[in-house]
Amino acid sequence: MLAVLEWLENTRLAILIQESQYGFPFVVAVHILGLTVSVGTLLWVDLRMLGVALRGLRVSAVYRGLAPWFFAGFALMFVSGAALFTAFATSAFANLYFRLKLVALLLAGVNALVFHVVVAAKTSAKWDDAARPPAGVRIAGLTSIVLWAGVIVAGRMMSYTMFSYP
Amino acid sequence: MFTWLETTSVATTVASSIAITASLSAIHLIGYTLATGGALAANLRLLGVLFRGRPAIEVVGPATRAIALGLTISLVTGVLLFSARASDASANGAFRLKMVLLIAAGVFHFTVSRGSAARASVSAQRARGAGAIGLALWLGLAVAACVFILLE
Repeated sequence: MLAVLEWLENTRLAILIQESQYGFPFVVAVHILGLTVSVGTLLWVDLRMLGVALRGLRVSAVYRGLAPWFFAGFALMFVSGAALFTAFATSAFANLYFRLKLVALLLAGVNALVFHVVVAAKTSAKWDDAARPPAGVRIAGLTSIVLWAGVIVAGRMMSYTMFSYP
Repeated sequence: MFTWLETTSVATTVASSIAITASLSAIHLIGYTLATGGALAANLRLLGVLFRGRPAIEVVGPATRAIALGLTISLVTGVLLFSARASDASANGAFRLKMVLLIAAGVFHFTVSRGSAARASVSAQRARGAGAIGLALWLGLAVAACVFILLE
């Protein structure tokens, strides 16, 4: 494992991010903008599932309208995140907040996947236009919000504990 | 004034603890995501890109509440973070630009954008214009914020 992480840190991409003056800030900026677009738009699907906002629209309409935005944001975030990881692979891997962030990210993915495959695929006809969807749907929406907030908080804590600038 | 702010007990408490600074920064980013997510939804609706089938106010209304809550969270945590390094931050060009764009984006949203959504008499063209300007202001704010934290 350590050998893989060290190999990653010596790839050309990693060295570019570590050594060029604007490489690191540029990739972090892309990462934050990706976060803004993805979580900022996904939030409205979650709020609709909770029955808090956009109640006049079907859940599926909110999802379909926003999906291109949050998937584009996720793509930006994952590509820039992977690039950042190569540059600081060993210290990131050793960082508690990085691990918490990955766990929250994984759980957010599992929550979305289970909701889609198990819940939405079979029962969405019953609650798609309901102002206040059933408890299972609301719980999935709330879980998504909590996990993504966890990803954001862990990500911020990680950057403060890894690089130790104030 | 900025050097005085740095000597207050709130500022020294924030400055002395990485844990407090990091936590405030995390909450600051949550507020930012909420506000900018609201701005994205509102302005994409005004542009006619999203949810065209529903009246603009049905999207801009809740988005405005998200912006208000997000900005409140970011302002409170932002002031605390600012207090700890008021003189450095206030002298920073990116920080000044961020403040100007914050005020511009906020004022534009709560006057023009919300107004365009609330009145049925507003032409589609004017609504699209408001959406484009709003989107540019919020995007500019996000970029200035990134430049400030990364290149100071």
